Amino acid sequence: MRGLIGILHCKVPGARAFIAHRHWLADIHFAITAFSFSCSSVFIRHTSVLMCMLQCRSINLLHILFMKRLIVPFLTLSALSIILISCSKSEVETDPAAGLTKIAEGFAAGAATKVEVYSNAAAASGYQKFWFALYDSLSGKRVDEAQIKLMPMMDMGTMKHSAPYENPASFQAVNQLFEGAVFFIMSSAGGSWTLSINIRNNVTGKEGALTIPVTVAEPKAKRMLSFTSAIDNTSKYFIALVEPSRPKVGINDLEFVIGKRSTMMSFPADSSMSVTFEPEMPTMNHGSPNNVNPVHAGMGHYKGKVNFTMTGLWRLHLQLKSGDAIARKDSIDIEF
Amino acid sequence: MLAGFCFVFGLSAQDDSVKTVTLSNVTIVGAEKNMSAQLQQFFRANAAATVEEIMSRLPELSLVRRGSYGMEPTIRSLNGGQINLLIDGMRIHGACTDKMDPATIYVEPVNLENIQLTTGGQGTAKGSSIGGTIDMALAAPKYSSEGPWHGSVQTAYQGASNGWHQAATVNYSSKQFAIRGSGTYRTADNYRDGNGNEVMFSQYNKWNASLSANYRLNEHTRLKADVLADDGWNIGYPALPMDVGYAKARIAAISISKSRAGSRWQQMEAKAYANRVEHSMDDTQRPNVPMHMDMPGLSETAGFYANGSYKLNDRQSLTMRIDGASTFLKASMTMYPPGETPMYMLTWPDNRRNQLGTSAVWKWAPDSLLQLNVTARIDGVQSKLSSQEAKDHISVLGGCTDARFDLLSNLSLSGSKRLANGWQVGVSVGVAQRMPTASELYGFYLFNAFDNYDYVGNTALKSETAINAEAFVSWKLKQVKLQFTGFYNHISHYILGRVDPSLSSMTIGSLGVKVYENMPWAQMAGAEFSVQYKPFERILLLSTLRASVAEGSDGLPLPFIPPLKNITSVRYAYGRISAQLEYEASLKQTRINEQAGETTTPGFVLAHARVGYVLPLWKNQISCQAGVENMFNEAYQEHLDWGNVLRPGRNMYATLRCTF
Repeated sequence: MRGLIGILHCKVPGARAFIAHRHWLADIHFAITAFSFSCSSVFIRHTSVLMCMLQCRSINLLHILFMKRLIVPFLTLSALSIILISCSKSEVETDPAAGLTKIAEGFAAGAATKVEVYSNAAAASGYQKFWFALYDSLSGKRVDEAQIKLMPMMDMGTMKHSAPYENPASFQAVNQLFEGAVFFIMSSAGGSWTLSINIRNNVTGKEGALTIPVTVAEPKAKRMLSFTSAIDNTSKYFIALVEPSRPKVGINDLEFVIGKRSTMMSFPADSSMSVTFEPEMPTMNHGSPNNVNPVHAGMGHYKGKVNFTMTGLWRLHLQLKSGDAIARKDSIDIEF
Repeated sequence: MLAGFCFVFGLSAQDDSVKTVTLSNVTIVGAEKNMSAQLQQFFRANAAATVEEIMSRLPELSLVRRGSYGMEPTIRSLNGGQINLLIDGMRIHGACTDKMDPATIYVEPVNLENIQLTTGGQGTAKGSSIGGTIDMALAAPKYSSEGPWHGSVQTAYQGASNGWHQAATVNYSSKQFAIRGSGTYRTADNYRDGNGNEVMFSQYNKWNASLSANYRLNEHTRLKADVLADDGWNIGYPALPMDVGYAKARIAAISISKSRAGSRWQQMEAKAYANRVEHSMDDTQRPNVPMHMDMPGLSETAGFYANGSYKLNDRQSLTMRIDGASTFLKASMTMYPPGETPMYMLTWPDNRRNQLGTSAVWKWAPDSLLQLNVTARIDGVQSKLSSQEAKDHISVLGGCTDARFDLLSNLSLSGSKRLANGWQVGVSVGVAQRMPTASELYGFYLFNAFDNYDYVGNTALKSETAINAEAFVSWKLKQVKLQFTGFYNHISHYILGRVDPSLSSMTIGSLGVKVYENMPWAQMAGAEFSVQYKPFERILLLSTLRASVAEGSDGLPLPFIPPLKNITSVRYAYGRISAQLEYEASLKQTRINEQAGETTTPGFVLAHARVGYVLPLWKNQISCQAGVENMFNEAYQEHLDWGNVLRPGRNMYATLRCTF
């Protein structure tokens, strides 16, 4: 349909036609593309004439259009070419992991399953999503039904601790992948991170685990905070920025995840906080209008909106409250 | 102020009425502004004058000045989007978000045929506007019977700014074909004001070239092509925090016209045109810049118009016009904080305006003394944001990102009647509408150095609707012609910026953010008086006087209203010698709008003197002119000048012009 509109645009010999403008050229390009598609044997006589003219006349469409005799076949062809294009559109298999980077692969012993671990960015301290692709190690076929349990572990030599994590929510793969996440609460500078992936292959019923090392970098702009609540001076919380993952000028989704340390091995999601924030460009001392404070949306995730009026360094001044009492005031930077 | 005005007017009228004079020809209100043409011709005699200088002598026009270059014309205090500023009927939109580049800078006196000024509702024939139309007609190639080649070369020097101006024209014609080329180069350093101080960042440099070709298809039909290029660079704007790095305009048009005096269709013309303006603001020359920034802007317009005059009968004619244009605008700002990520945003988020309109002017002269005109116009205008990035910007402000469509209707009725003893009276009433500008709809933190606020657009703005009324009385005798015009405009949904304390300012040092809003109404009234007096063959006196007042529905005066001003010139011409004395006086302006950042402007009196001598040289002519402007070195500024920057002090100039 958009193509049809594009072609019709060219036919209006109005104001748009007199300037070599991007949109106008784009329309013509589309029209030409449509023509090439429409070169089916039935119409080949008409189209080849038109194609020749298009080339000879340096894409001067007006010339062609004003030749009355050609307008009717031209219109017919345009319409038909659209139909041809839409009919011939085939479903191309797309790689479910397109745009993601494979960071590890291995076999989950006991589960007879090959595991591929993908991520959308190099691991850095903060909230990190992982995607898991599972294959039957014998047949090599995709495994779309499995239960995956994660366990991140930091070995600091003298002690070990885990971190908040999110197991894939469904036992059924979504677009052939299982999505989970780990909130790395520190970088690998203080020790070494491993991620243990326990897999129960629901097709075969077999279960096994794989542990992979993960190098967690310290990002240029800090994406997380850890703090001890100012209310009781004991509770340790972790807050990470989930969205905007691709910040832009305009309205951005804002999402935080908050975890609380209950033991060194358990960091459950926290839904008790109320979060308010104020964006600021520290270089310019100005903010932005119409922001929406994040509210809890389940699983320790808080969702709101943040507006950026320009690119550059933005500082989100956060205020975390438990009831009316302030647990923490701090800031997170977003630079783009 | 009005009392002062009446007093001066009364005095002039009394002085003139003492003289004995007799009736001569007529002035028709509207399209044929004889007085305006007269003034233009008079002030163009100064060969070094800019288009802006010529315009400043017309009582209906005032100029908003931000630097010594690129002044923005206003018609009776209405400016920007409230008036049509056309070049040869073509729409052209400046590419600067700070209005540093009004279309007037792209036309030089050497390629200007005339300035057609129509005020109020009658100005809507060429476009919906509430203030009127300024159409700068480009000089056309001439078919000459005295040899194929003609031309001129001129050079001029301005003392106050150490400025040079070179210009040349050449015209070739054969029986069927004629071509005219012109070129101008201007350069000026910082000028000195009346206190002898150098005004920093008041320099400018530009060249302008135009080529116009005319081909006679047959006795009545002509094909015409125009190309115009204008490049300015290193242009200082002392009243603004930034200067202009470069401003480039390219204009092209092709037209066909047919004129046949005997036939019913007396005049027909169709034109297609395109233009592109690139503009880049620059702060690299300025000291103490907190952060370097780039501010490029782009404007592209393509359009057409077709008009024809149809003679209904001996007493009635109908002029019809259809025109359309599509304008694309984009401007951005990138700031470079040292050692940090550059900060980028769109200041004019990409937007396009498509306009299609049609108008009709019906002229009826029931008898030889009475003339009636009806001007009607209807415009459909679509305004839209043309990229996702642009929509994202506007959504931050909570604006509507969908395309909007406006229908603008304009209607004007006017009539004039010749009475006995050289008297003539005329009235005109009309309703007119204008679209909010791109800045008013989509502007994104545009810094206004005048009131020190950032401005953001408002997509919910209504179009301004004005009721215009104008009346004139003129009295013409053999040696004297007097004309008095009074006007009143009532504008509904008047657009102006209002402080929004919930928004934080973007620009360092700005006081806050203003959002464009519709004020319920505003009204303005004023009067112009002009006299042309020729007591002897060799002496011509021209004097104009104008004054206006305006207020908004909040009871405060509107900003940018010039105070009462008088310009009087006396020219003595005898054979090859001419001499001219000019007197320019302005009252102080105390009716100001402090919310808009205005301060009172003191009054001033200026005197200029000019002499000219024409030296015939075989078949050619060399004309020399010299003069002194602001003779008494007055330190002054006009009320519409931004930033309290003083205008040039005493300026000696000389011009040499050779025509062949």
